[in-house]
Amino acid sequence: MKVKGDLVKSLNRKTVVVGLALAAVFVVIGNFVFSYALETLDVQAERLGLSGENVLEAPFPEYTIPGFDSIWGSVLLGIASLFLIFTVTIVVANLLKKKGQDS
Amino acid sequence: MHIPDGFLSLPIAIAAFATTIVFWIVSFRKVKNSLDERQVPIMGLLTALFFAAQMINYPILGGTTAHLLGGASLGIILGPYAGCISMSIILVLQCLLFGDGGITALGANAFNMGVVSVFVPALLILAFNKVTKGRGLFAWIFISAFAADFLSAIFAGVELGFSVPTFQYGIKIAVSAMAINHSVIGVIEGIVTVVLIATLLKVRPDVLSKSSILKDLPFFKASNRVEQWSA
Repeated sequence: MKVKGDLVKSLNRKTVVVGLALAAVFVVIGNFVFSYALETLDVQAERLGLSGENVLEAPFPEYTIPGFDSIWGSVLLGIASLFLIFTVTIVVANLLKKKGQDS
Repeated sequence: MHIPDGFLSLPIAIAAFATTIVFWIVSFRKVKNSLDERQVPIMGLLTALFFAAQMINYPILGGTTAHLLGGASLGIILGPYAGCISMSIILVLQCLLFGDGGITALGANAFNMGVVSVFVPALLILAFNKVTKGRGLFAWIFISAFAADFLSAIFAGVELGFSVPTFQYGIKIAVSAMAINHSVIGVIEGIVTVVLIATLLKVRPDVLSKSSILKDLPFFKASNRVEQWSA
C-alpha cells in the first residue's frame, strides 16, 4: 500500500513538472503569438462609450510590469504568476483538507 | 468574458455576488470533507494550467478574440466543488493582480466562469452517463464543454442585458453577441477538454478515478489501469 502511495506521489511530481512546463509554454504563446485581445465586451463597451476602468488599481495592469516595457517582462510575470497560483491553490486545498480532518 | 467595473448595475452585481457566495460556501464545505491528499497537487496544477491557457487569445468572429475558460476540465476532472474553488482562485488573482475583471463584477465573473462553466459540464456528464451508460463518453465531454462556454456567455449577456441603463444594449443584443462569438471558443474548449481527459486516461487514469464525476462511469470501472493505480 505504501509503495503504491509513494509511486503516486512520484507520478504526481512528474505530472506537476510536465504540466507547469506546458503552462509556461502557454504563457509564451499567449505573449508572442496570440497576444492581441479584443473581446466582444470590449467592442460593445467602445460603442457605448464605456471606459471599463476598474475601481481598484491593479499592481500589474494588463499583465505588464509598470515601467518595464518589454514582452519578456510579461512572460516573466506570467510564469511567476503560474507558480503563485499553483502555490495559493495548494495552500487553500491543504487548509481545507486539514479543516475537514479536524472537524 | 471578464466583466470590468462599471458595466453591471448595482442590483445585478449584488445578486450575482450573493448567488456566488452560496456556491463558495457549499463548495468549501464539500471539498474539505472529500478532497483526497493525492488530488491536491493535481488541483494546483490544473488551476495554474488554466490560468495560463486563459492568456492565449484566439481570433474568433469580426476581428474579436476570446480565451478558453477551462471550467469544463476543472469540473469534470476535479469535480464541480473543487473546480469552482480552482476557477475562483484564478479569477480573484486575475482581478486583484492584473485588473482582469472588476472587483464589483467579481461575483458575476465567478458565477459565469466559476459556477456555470464548472457545474454545467459536470452535471451534464452525470446525466449523460445515466442515459447512455458511459457510451460515447468523449462526444459527451465535447458537448458538455461546449455547453459550458456557451451558457457562461449567455449568463454574462443576461447580466449585462439586465444592467440597463449602465449597459444600454438590452438583453437581446447583449445575449446574442456574447453567445454567437463564444460558441466559436466553445468548440475549441470542447476539443481541449477531450484531448486533456483522453491524455489523462492514458497516462494517469488514477487521477480520473478520483473524480466524483467520472469514477462511476462503466468505462473507468472496467479499466484495469485505474485499479492498478488505486490504493
